[in-house]
Amino acid sequence: MAWTELAETLLQLVESVTPPAGSGLVVTEAELEVPLEVGSTVHRGRLVIYGGAPHSRWESGFLPPVHRSRLRVELLEEDGDGR
Amino acid sequence: MVGDGSFLVEEFIDSITSQLDRVQDALRIKAVNRPLTYALKDMALELKVFVEMDAQGRVRFRTGGPNEAGASVVHLGFTTITKPMIEENTISLSASRSPGLEEAGLSADERMRLERVGVRNVAQLERLNRSAGVQSVSRFADVPVDRLKRALVMNQPKITAVRPEPPRPAPQPARPPAVKATVPPPKARMPILPISARPLPPQAVQPGPVFNRPVLKLQRGTKLLHLSGSRLIGEDGPPVVRLNDRPLGISEADDDRLVVEMPDDLQGGALEVSLPDGSVASYELSLDDGDGWHGEDVNDAWAPGEEMS
Repeated sequence: MAWTELAETLLQLVESVTPPAGSGLVVTEAELEVPLEVGSTVHRGRLVIYGGAPHSRWESGFLPPVHRSRLRVELLEEDGDGR
Repeated sequence: MVGDGSFLVEEFIDSITSQLDRVQDALRIKAVNRPLTYALKDMALELKVFVEMDAQGRVRFRTGGPNEAGASVVHLGFTTITKPMIEENTISLSASRSPGLEEAGLSADERMRLERVGVRNVAQLERLNRSAGVQSVSRFADVPVDRLKRALVMNQPKITAVRPEPPRPAPQPARPPAVKATVPPPKARMPILPISARPLPPQAVQPGPVFNRPVLKLQRGTKLLHLSGSRLIGEDGPPVVRLNDRPLGISEADDDRLVVEMPDDLQGGALEVSLPDGSVASYELSLDDGDGWHGEDVNDAWAPGEEMS
């Protein structure tokens, strides 16, 4: 499996709470508890953190350890600044 | 990160912050074209790491490998904060603008020992020196006093040159076009003050007259005075400039330059620049009704005795 930068994974997780178009549902807040495989490398002199979904939900002796993460996602107000 | 895959804690936090910023920026861009969008408000990580110490005494993390038991769990929480909170919890820009300890000539070992007492740049060293004294800093950080004093002296705020901006000539009535000149007109340049006008080393404020002040000869009607130097902006902003105890306006200020507005009723007297470290650079300002320039300017194409081609 190719390593995915943590930002990409987080973006996909945030996107995942968006309800299907036309469903009439609006998610205003979501809390996600997600296991992540975390790795790091140095790219152009800077430390880059990788983080992605685990290879398997089973524990094994040859896969990297799984770290837990918790995210809180909120609906952004139209005039909000996103921070 | 070193060969064993370990990294400094601050590098890790910096990298995570950069990733979170990317997430927020991407979500913000999506919000332009979408009616609803989300923001990542908080993130917590339970990181299984092995904590190590490198040869320099810095703490490093290494994420556990496959089948590697006994990792520590580090809980890290990230949340969004507002701009005022950032300002409250970070050092001021002026403090971060100060030269670093490396620029101050301190060795890597000395820098590390100073960083342990919270000193990362010369401004912080100065502040600690003012409150605790150089002896205490030396004792706590285990850095020789003379090294600290040298670093402080080398990075003192100072003025290295003063240049008056000559007054603009009054507008002349329109003249008929003249015969094309063979000699190019002189470029408008600001004269550089002569050696005799260079400032003395900053001295402490003392009541009473100050003798042997460098003399600045200004042309009457001079509106601006350009000061060049280093570390001219402190945590409280640009220096205060006074002419005969009357504060003057500052039209431009940067770390290495200052443009001082001269009053319309310009008069000679004592010009004092209160530098950020508390020292005062003093000059004797005298007015000159002539060209205001008595110094040596090696670049002057119109200097007497020089042939023009």
